[in-house]
Amino acid sequence: MASILVVDDEPEVGEAIRRVLARAGFLVAVANSAEDGLRRMDEQRPDIVITDVIMPKVHGLELITMLLSRHPRVRIIAISGGGSFGPLAYKPDAISTHAYLAAAREAGAQELLTKPFDMSDLLAAVRKLLPN
Amino acid sequence: MERLTNSLRVRLTSVVLVIHAALVPLLYLGVSAIVEDGYAELFVNPLRSNSRLIADELEAADAQEFPRYAGALLDSVVLSGQVVFAEITDGAQTLHSSLSSVSPGRARGDDFEFADHGDQVYYISHRVKRGTRWVVLRLGFDEGPTLERIAAAKRRVLAAVLAFTAASIAVAIWLSAVIARPMVRLQEAAKRVAGGDVHTELQMHSSIREVRELNHHLERMRQELVGTNDRLESEIRGREASEQKRLDLERRLLHRERIASIGTLAGGVAHEFNNILTPILLYSQIALDDTAPDGALARDLTRIVAAAHRARSLVNRILTFSREMHSQEPAVFSLRPTVEEALALMRAIVPANIEVDFDASEDGTAVQGDPSLVHQVVINLCTNAYQAMRRTGGRLSVKLRGIDNPGDGQINPGSYALLEVGDTGHGMEQAVILHIFEPFFTTRDVGEGTGLGLSVVHGIVTSMGGSITVESAVGQGTTFRVYLPAAAAQVCERSGALG
Ligand SMILES: Nc1ncnc2c1ncn2[C@@H]1O[C@H](COP(=O)(O)OP(=O)(O)OP(=O)(O)O)[C@@H](O)[C@H]1O
Ligand SMILES: [Mg+2]
Repeated sequence: MASILVVDDEPEVGEAIRRVLARAGFLVAVANSAEDGLRRMDEQRPDIVITDVIMPKVHGLELITMLLSRHPRVRIIAISGGGSFGPLAYKPDAISTHAYLAAAREAGAQELLTKPFDMSDLLAAVRKLLPN
Repeated sequence: MERLTNSLRVRLTSVVLVIHAALVPLLYLGVSAIVEDGYAELFVNPLRSNSRLIADELEAADAQEFPRYAGALLDSVVLSGQVVFAEITDGAQTLHSSLSSVSPGRARGDDFEFADHGDQVYYISHRVKRGTRWVVLRLGFDEGPTLERIAAAKRRVLAAVLAFTAASIAVAIWLSAVIARPMVRLQEAAKRVAGGDVHTELQMHSSIREVRELNHHLERMRQELVGTNDRLESEIRGREASEQKRLDLERRLLHRERIASIGTLAGGVAHEFNNILTPILLYSQIALDDTAPDGALARDLTRIVAAAHRARSLVNRILTFSREMHSQEPAVFSLRPTVEEALALMRAIVPANIEVDFDASEDGTAVQGDPSLVHQVVINLCTNAYQAMRRTGGRLSVKLRGIDNPGDGQINPGSYALLEVGDTGHGMEQAVILHIFEPFFTTRDVGEGTGLGLSVVHGIVTSMGGSITVESAVGQGTTFRVYLPAAAAQVCERSGALG
């Protein structure tokens, strides 16, 4: 049974994702901040981390870098709703969801999802990253 | 101006008149006196020597024959003319020529002044010695002819003086006109300058030096005025231009700021919305999954999912819009994402009876410019197409591809990105096609269209070095073709690869 960690500063978003994945039979934990996510990562060693990009304090991009440096084998799905918040706001393209996701891919995320995504898209992305 | 002419002329003429009124009588009297004196002298001098000769003859006459001789002498003197009276008297006795026309009684005493009384006779007396006695010879001469000559001379003098006066006055009038005319012209010119016409040169060809000098000075003043005027005008124009520039800049800055704040706001709202939409979409899809497919609940949940999808595309459009507004520097970019974004917007607008399809190949569709302008081109063309099909419905088909050397005579050979926007709408007549790219040309009802759509498209396309063609058939549809020069360079990472 694959285990998944969801990191999003919006509890409702994390919970909805958890429900979808749990229904599909995955083992899911939810963290509401990057710090919380890092802690749980060390505890639970999930196969996949689904993380938001734009989060207060520690940014999703930073989180991805840290996760990969500690656990190089973890698979990462970046999700973003775009918007002008966060450290990338000064760039003209900052409000483009594409820009965040492209940055996330650069940081090492294998899959990218634009919020709001369909249940099927989420499940497809997860299954794509699983070994079998 | 009239007043000046009149006053100057009248002044000059009356001065001349006054001078003449004072001088002419003096002149006349003076000349008359000289003439009179001259004639008197001419009259008197010969008479004196003549009468002296007669007196000498009387003195030398023999004593015995004297009375007879004296009588004959006196008669001959009178007969010789001019003498109108002759007598010899010794106090007691008087010998009088009977031929005298003036009777002795009327003859006055001695008289040595010419014409000093009314009888027109000039008397001369000589004392003649006869032995031991003295007798007096008195002769009277006729002044008449001389007086007549004097009068005639005086008349000639008067005529001459009057002629001279008349000539003077005529000269005065003419002279005043000669002087006044250039003055008046100068005055007119000065008035024109004062009235604002500073560009006509003051040209006064006058024989009067003062007038020429005055003209010269006025002309220099005018030139200075023109120079000052020009300087002031260009200064004012410069100020206006810089003020306009400042206003433009201010407006552009304001516009940019507003766009930027709209972008920021849109970004913030979009972020929140996307987060809110995520659980809505996911929970409703979970619930839909758990529900029997044909029930009323499933139908309602499907509607929720559809609404969430619509909300998602709306947020995407807002994001797209604000991004377009942010990117303004011309860059090399691929047309496809831009056209796609614009079409996403159109899809949200057009009703269900219009089909929108998009057929694109990535190759050769990179161009250089501002993506937001291309966005505008697509929106404007598609809006017109949609409006042409609003009543009937139809198909809006957009095609994008790269081509080399379009076989169209209107287009120069070369590589282009070709964007085709076709519709199956009502089409256009030739007479309409001729004008569609003109600003404010519209066939729509008042308040419905500004007629700027295609002129903006045309402006954007030509500013990018491209061209636009149109093909239309009434009742069948219209196709616009936009040819944008292909950018040889690789597609810019930012806007291209991420699309
Ligand atoms: N696809 C089309 N099919 C038929 N007629 C068209 C089409 N595109 C443009 N026209 C004609 O060209 C005219 C000018 O178009 P343009 O876009 O410049 O102005 P407009 O659409 O009338 O006003 P607006 O500025 O609001 O767009 C239109 O009024 C219409 O008559
Ligand atoms: Mg239009």
